[in-house]
Amino acid sequence: MLMNNKTLAVAGALAAVMAVHAVPASAQDAKEKCYGVALAGQNDCKAGEGTTCSGSSKVDYQGNAYKEVPTGTCLKMELPEGRMGSLEPLDRDPAG
Amino acid sequence: MSQSGFVMALLDPDLPVPDGLIDGAGRPAGRRFSVYRNNVVGSLTEVLEKGFPVLQKLLGAEYFAALAKVFLRSHPPETRVMMLYGAQMPAFLAGFEPLAHLPYLPDVARLEQALRESYHSADSIAVAATDLAALSPEDFISARLQLAPTLRMIRSQWPISSIWAANTKETAPKPVMRAEDTLILRAEFDPEPHELGQGAADFIAALLRDETVGTAMDSAGSDFDLGATLSLLIAGNAVTTITRPEYAQA
Repeated sequence: MLMNNKTLAVAGALAAVMAVHAVPASAQDAKEKCYGVALAGQNDCKAGEGTTCSGSSKVDYQGNAYKEVPTGTCLKMELPEGRMGSLEPLDRDPAG
Repeated sequence: MSQSGFVMALLDPDLPVPDGLIDGAGRPAGRRFSVYRNNVVGSLTEVLEKGFPVLQKLLGAEYFAALAKVFLRSHPPETRVMMLYGAQMPAFLAGFEPLAHLPYLPDVARLEQALRESYHSADSIAVAATDLAALSPEDFISARLQLAPTLRMIRSQWPISSIWAANTKETAPKPVMRAEDTLILRAEFDPEPHELGQGAADFIAALLRDETVGTAMDSAGSDFDLGATLSLLIAGNAVTTITRPEYAQA
């Protein structure tokens, strides 16, 4: 079969993959499952998710603070076109 | 008192304590119910905080806690398993009017939920780079690649990969306004998002449809970098099977 452009591209890509990832099998096999190192909150184990100490506070409160302004990193993002980090949409885009 | 009435009162603090709840001495147990009600909300809020840490950072802890309460009351768990609780958060955010001016938040939530899904998906054995070497380019073009069950892809008109990185890695640059495709790979035990280059998402989407490599390349366009994408997939242990073409009579 003649080498067409696609074949050449694939040959080059396969060579590139080989160059980067030709790791000896022994290095790849030297891994083991380890317990106790799960991401925070992801192990779903005893005393993990679904258990809480918040019962020390006796009464729940209404979740109505969403009307207030978020205080996180949204505002700290400096981005072109402005809209991404903006919390003041009404200044630019009046309703109606 | 019915069970459904009990559940409704659990999730709505405006409803009165259900009738008929008594303590060991036969006295009304309204305060005990309030403690329980608070525990339910507190534990579900904690699950959402653990599941959507970038969302929490973007909005601030206080705001997120309040948002979580609105969410969990309208979307109580449908299963006892908490590890994926919050799957409806992206859709909830998309319809949440007070945050409509931050339109990228639903896709950030999709990314975080996809990370959780990837984390809990089944293990698989990946092919190695040396397995690719056994194929001629022609065979590879006609082959189909099966991808790992831990792989997730999020296509967004927002720079969610950059937003995620900027809020999880100290050295990450500030996001630039653009569309970004994100591939989540779990090379070993912890999933990691990777921003995809031009055409790579189309290529991977075609592979996921069980198209051949050649067809997937065609759908990826001329600016697509096959070597970089294959390297990413191989390094992420994301290719589990290479199905070689079955030749008809030559």
